[in-house]
Amino acid sequence: MIHDAVTEVMSAACPWLVLVLCLQQVAGWCGLTWRGWRLLASSGALALIVLLLPAKGLIIARWVAGVSVNFSIPLTGMLAIAVWERTFARRIFSHVDWATGWSFGAIGGLVLYPLALGVSSFDPYEWGWRFSPLFVIMGALTSWLIWKQNGFGFLLLLAIVAFQLRLLESSNYWDYLLDPIYCLTSLVWLGGRLVAHIRGGVVRPDAASGA
Amino acid sequence: MNTWPLGRSVRSFTVGAHLREEGVRVRREVEEVIASVGETKKSIVYGTKRMMRPATRGILILLAVASNAWPLVEAGNPVPAFVTPAPMQVAGGPPFFHEEFINSDSSHPMSHVASVGELPDGRLAATWYAGSREGASDVAIYLSTRAPAESAWSRPHAIVTRESASRDLNRYIKKVGNSVIFSDSKGGLWLIYVTVSVGGWSGSSLNLTMSADEGLTWTPSRRLTLSPFFNLSELVKNAPVALSDGGWAVPIYHELAGTFPEVLWLRDATGDFRATKSRMSAGWYGYQPALAPLNAHRALALLREDSSAKRLSIARTENAGETWSPPQPLDLPNPDAGLDALQLRDGRLLLAFNDSTDGRDNLRLAMSADEGRTWERVATVAEEPGADFSYPFLMQTRDGQVHLVYTWHRKAIKHVAFNAAWLDERRNASTR
Repeated sequence: MIHDAVTEVMSAACPWLVLVLCLQQVAGWCGLTWRGWRLLASSGALALIVLLLPAKGLIIARWVAGVSVNFSIPLTGMLAIAVWERTFARRIFSHVDWATGWSFGAIGGLVLYPLALGVSSFDPYEWGWRFSPLFVIMGALTSWLIWKQNGFGFLLLLAIVAFQLRLLESSNYWDYLLDPIYCLTSLVWLGGRLVAHIRGGVVRPDAASGA
Repeated sequence: MNTWPLGRSVRSFTVGAHLREEGVRVRREVEEVIASVGETKKSIVYGTKRMMRPATRGILILLAVASNAWPLVEAGNPVPAFVTPAPMQVAGGPPFFHEEFINSDSSHPMSHVASVGELPDGRLAATWYAGSREGASDVAIYLSTRAPAESAWSRPHAIVTRESASRDLNRYIKKVGNSVIFSDSKGGLWLIYVTVSVGGWSGSSLNLTMSADEGLTWTPSRRLTLSPFFNLSELVKNAPVALSDGGWAVPIYHELAGTFPEVLWLRDATGDFRATKSRMSAGWYGYQPALAPLNAHRALALLREDSSAKRLSIARTENAGETWSPPQPLDLPNPDAGLDALQLRDGRLLLAFNDSTDGRDNLRLAMSADEGRTWERVATVAEEPGADFSYPFLMQTRDGQVHLVYTWHRKAIKHVAFNAAWLDERRNASTR
């Protein structure tokens, strides 16, 4: 019962953060110059109210769950950081941290999804259920990023901790690391960088955050 | 670093509506400068951009390594053996054959995809889905039981509806579909069933529920996460095989982008199954596998084919399902229709299939005495031009009787019971 409640809260965290970001954006367009806790409390509460609105017997958050419940920890963490940076106008992730996060989502997604959807008889998704090279790779990558003080390394650390605590509905490690929305967003970011590179333009470091 | 005073001054600066955009731009630039100054300060103090001592980093790295290594400690026996029924010689009794409808008085225009299991007391329990049409919102999964001494099946009752699944899973459910029923050695009756929230059948997910009172009441359903892509496109059609550790190997399949057969492993540790899966083939070799164990480690899977070859195919494992051979076509046709197979207690293999490349207007039985290398047609269960006899499901009860349930004209579910003597009689008749 407690586990179900925790997984439902975790599945609602990502939509809530997206809503908070959207509401803050709208507030900016409307000329509202609130910052800090006042902005976070108001946008957070409004987003929560929206997610708790009932519609045909289900709250909005559970309608979202009909599409996806396993939002990855890096995506949730990056959204939380984006909300925090926007709310408090304070940088938490450097452009390198953001770039690492988007690169991880793009590369990981390009490896996982085609293979999991049947491109070959090797299914890397199986690696997420038991000790496998995935755990070795992620342990090494997380350690290296933390040693380099890359902020994304902390999100990967949170992902393995969340997996050990089974905070998502899934019991597969991959679902704690990646999800299709994260992968798609990362590919859009990667595409943008490639286009900018091809055009020979200089990409502003803070553009990596997408903020 | 608190930027609130800066916000105030910028707000004063943007009083004029025509200066608002300029004010926001200036404010951002100033905030960025302040943020960068903050980072520079930290760099000066600690020599890096973040304030983290090497000891702290070391502890976090230790945590990362330990957490990623922990599954190694947890790892149990990775490959349990298949449980095969105790061998039993063919009884010398007379041939027996009986057929009947399970839901002949159904008010539903459509009934499809039946499964049957044996309860601890020897009764049969069958499930199928029925409603106004396949995929409609009024479709529900029905259960009916039959005791050997009774002359008819019990009145079917809905055990899973779209609404009950939505309530149990606490999310929107658009429709329910295929189900498979089976009972464990402790008396529990299990049901794996398909639900769809978005799209067609390729958007399916699998769910698990259990009854401790032989189907009267069911535990809240649990969603099984088996695919990384929105947990989509996992379906079930045929019977599971028991494992030596108390778990089950359930043949399932995937049909989004690639179409391929898989095995769902339900491993029991503390009364609740832990679900994982493994692949049988790449994304272009058959689906709806029928799993037939030959012994503790060897098994074969017969596959429905949607390719132009229109042939059944077969895959084999020698290591209890850990790896599978590439599927090979059999010399039996398949009109892209479901099939089922099982190993009889006398060791022979029995197959129920549509013996055609272009329709489902017959349902035949074939047998193999050489572990699936060659097959011999032994009996026709149903045949009528233009009709639809589909989705057979086979099961052998503890008394040695074989039970076949299948979709009849898409309107009803038919149950056929026979024994090995009847199969031999039909086989002898067909070879004469």
